[in-house]
Amino acid sequence: MSVRVHPELRNQLIQFGIGDWNACYHCGTCTAQCPLSEEGFLFPRKKIRLMQMGLKDELEASVEPWLCYYCGDCSTSCPRDANPGELMMSLRRYLTSIYDWTGLSKKFYTSELWELGFIIVFATLVVLSFLIVLPAMGYHFTKQLTAEGGVQVNAFAPIHVVETFDWTMAAIVASLLVSNILRMYYKIIWKYGNMKVSLWVHIREFWLLIFNFAVQPKFNKCDDKRYWLSHWFLMSGYTIMFIVIVVYLPWFQTEKILPVYDPQRLLGYYATFGLLFGLFIAIIGRFKKKDVKFQFSHVTDWLFLVMLTLTAISGILIHIFRIHGMPLATYISYIAHMAILVPMILIEVPFSKWSHLAYRPFAVYFQQLKKHAVPR
Amino acid sequence: MRNSEITGVFFYNPAGLYPDPTDYQELISYSISFANVTRAFTFSDFIWNEKNILKKIEENNFERIVIAGLIPGTVKALFSKAMTLSGKDPEKVHLASFNDYCTGTRFDSERIKIVMASVISGIPYEFTGVPEELPVNKSTVVIGGGISGIQAALEIAYSNNEVYLIEKSGTIGGKMATFDKTFPTLDCAACILTPKMVEVNQHPKISLMSYSEVIGVSGKPGDFQVKVLRKARKVNVQTCIGCGTCAEKCPAQAPSEFDAGTCMRKAIYIPFPQAVPNKYLVDAENCIYLKNGKCKACIKACPVPGCIDLDEKDSEVTLNVGNIIVATGYRPFNAERMTQFGYGRFPNVLNSLEFERLLNASGPTGGNIHFRSQDKKGNWIFNTSAGQPEKLAIIHCVGSRDKNFNKYCSRVCCMYSLKFAHLIMEKLPEAEIFEYFIDMRSFGKGYEEFYERIRQEDVAIIRGKTAKVEQHGDKLFIRGEDILKGEILENLVDMVILSVGLEASDDALKISEMLGIATNSDGWFEEAHYNLAPTGTCRGGIFLAGTCQGPKDIPDCVAQGSAAAARVIQSILKGRIHDDVMSVSLEKVESKIKELSMES
Repeated sequence: MSVRVHPELRNQLIQFGIGDWNACYHCGTCTAQCPLSEEGFLFPRKKIRLMQMGLKDELEASVEPWLCYYCGDCSTSCPRDANPGELMMSLRRYLTSIYDWTGLSKKFYTSELWELGFIIVFATLVVLSFLIVLPAMGYHFTKQLTAEGGVQVNAFAPIHVVETFDWTMAAIVASLLVSNILRMYYKIIWKYGNMKVSLWVHIREFWLLIFNFAVQPKFNKCDDKRYWLSHWFLMSGYTIMFIVIVVYLPWFQTEKILPVYDPQRLLGYYATFGLLFGLFIAIIGRFKKKDVKFQFSHVTDWLFLVMLTLTAISGILIHIFRIHGMPLATYISYIAHMAILVPMILIEVPFSKWSHLAYRPFAVYFQQLKKHAVPR
Repeated sequence: MRNSEITGVFFYNPAGLYPDPTDYQELISYSISFANVTRAFTFSDFIWNEKNILKKIEENNFERIVIAGLIPGTVKALFSKAMTLSGKDPEKVHLASFNDYCTGTRFDSERIKIVMASVISGIPYEFTGVPEELPVNKSTVVIGGGISGIQAALEIAYSNNEVYLIEKSGTIGGKMATFDKTFPTLDCAACILTPKMVEVNQHPKISLMSYSEVIGVSGKPGDFQVKVLRKARKVNVQTCIGCGTCAEKCPAQAPSEFDAGTCMRKAIYIPFPQAVPNKYLVDAENCIYLKNGKCKACIKACPVPGCIDLDEKDSEVTLNVGNIIVATGYRPFNAERMTQFGYGRFPNVLNSLEFERLLNASGPTGGNIHFRSQDKKGNWIFNTSAGQPEKLAIIHCVGSRDKNFNKYCSRVCCMYSLKFAHLIMEKLPEAEIFEYFIDMRSFGKGYEEFYERIRQEDVAIIRGKTAKVEQHGDKLFIRGEDILKGEILENLVDMVILSVGLEASDDALKISEMLGIATNSDGWFEEAHYNLAPTGTCRGGIFLAGTCQGPKDIPDCVAQGSAAAARVIQSILKGRIHDDVMSVSLEKVESKIKELSMES
């Protein structure tokens, strides 16, 4: 089978990360020392080869970038400073933009202006809806500002309105993500490689998806185990928060301040701790730049971390002000919280760094499908 | 000025390419001071592409371009094309390389101006920057008694001129003497080298100073004073008969340097049986008498009265010579630095020099391949009582072509590794051999044929460097990627040989300071001109031979030894020698340019 060469691919990829990948002379050290690289799915050297040759179709059909958790050992041991670890990171960014059919992902990754612009637009819309739309609907939060009335979050941001909005947002994000995953499936399993996977295999291996989403067992196979734990705390903290806010909002957002040991508060505290712990490790690492994985931060990496931190902080503020019965401060931090949270979810989950929450487990699933595939 | 065409000067000085303390403002004003130069630009002035350069040429109506910088050739093509596009002569793009004529690495603005003045005025440097000639002393010092030094010394001695050959260790012969066979001819190294060593010893014109070191050099080309430290051998070279009785009785042991530490020698020893001079010497660090004041077993055993004098002190001599040939050689890369291969931790991971001794018939095992084992005193050595390996792996490029260690290619490792494979096949016909390489560099005459020959013998030659070596029980576990097959290759072998690269010798820096010759960033001595004067240095009367200038194989070393000798003999026959390149001043060059311009 002949392949089409795309020499311009390198120039495209350089926008998604930093590396002198043409320096690679293919000694294979990176692949051989990688504990995650396995028979049939070898990386990073093979991916460097594809990149050097500009074999776009083959790159788009590879699951390997998602199987790498960037411990950075390959870049440290590379005799050419070709930075294979960063290539895998850049490929993840690139693939995210390829799976995305709207083209927005590519814009966000390659232009800070687009990304920042969208964040600001969404944030403004959120603030405006609180100041104009909700009052127009008859919820005048200014009435609840007096201290005698206490903090009445539900009167300020009525649960059924927020819940409807949450579900709408979740539906939009989910449909985008699902359509992208279908494209990913098409590129990896359907279009490339001439293989056939039976329906039974699809069903049988499905548990892998859930397992990998919840535990990230592959991450723990890296020689450096430290980051698996901090990532798991971050992930579990966020997942709990997301489920609670979207699915169980009436249970979570109550007027009555429940005792500290109530599951509602305990769960919230755990999620906050998990988030902050994971964020702390990632941010400190990126400042220190000691580990290879933290040395080449892309703008989008920083934006993601900053927005997530701000979300967590504003969430904590809401909690503190509410407990202390400070209505105005609570409402303002509520608006700020939403103004950060909404653009973050709308931009990061379907289009940017956060999409890996779906692509990574699906890649493991697709890898398993590929293993059980029969030639067509 | 001879050249009156309108010239534009472009300084190619991209930031971050190399450390560059040059003051470009000064150079710009200097180049504009020439009548034919109208404008000068640096790299940061505008974006250097075809369009912009064409614009500059047309705006300023340049008829001639001079590109100046450390590596100006990189951008020459751009300018030639732009000249063509503007309808000018593309041949009139000239390079003023700061790297040539001993200008590079020093960033001496006067030297740079000399090169620029010559290029701008269109008169080659070879005519403008000629140093003065000085009278020359007919004797020569050769520093280093390896194959390059031996060759140079012999060439000069046979021209009937005095040579002092100074060798640091107890014997001449250098690294070549420790080898078993040479590639690609598979000559016995000792058989072709030892006759030359004996020749050196017996030649009336060569004064061999073994176990001596150069500690100071003064004077100028043609008249150097070389101070030599003659380390106390503690055995009289004249009266020692080399019987070996002293070593038999000596109770102290130390790892043998000549055998790369693969076996033990006594504190009074002879480096190897064919050593030249074939006389014993005392290792002061390990001698029990010199440590505690008691023993003298060697003196009691020695049949020649007064031959051993353990209280002998070091002495110094000063030699007056006209020329110096530097042939200080290399040192092998310390494989312990690459921790992933486990050298120094696993007994059966060897470096190439150790393996070379193992193969050598005069080595610790008499040329048989055995495992490393511990002797009664706990030293890890090789002897024939241990078992023999059945599977061996050879890993190429250890410490070479690696930005974490040495970025250059050491040139000889591919070939000696192939040679190893062949010699293993000879000695252990049943053995399985795996060669792990990245790129096979069989560049020399007959080398490709040698590679082809080894490929025909049952050797598994695998493309892909290994990532790690681990000890799994008695076996060594190797994990690497087979690049051509695209699969991970895991292998259990008995012995791993690391093909270590070449590094500048330990003394290179000291010698470069002593002699005033430059080293490059890797520590190799810098030659006067890469292509045209590979044996010369920036100093007059000081020449380079062998691996001290860069990694090379034995034929190249011998050739360079002869070439350096030719330069020395040339100066002796002529009776005059050129002063240091650096002695030429800018004033002189400018007046020379004026003088030459008048003539034409």
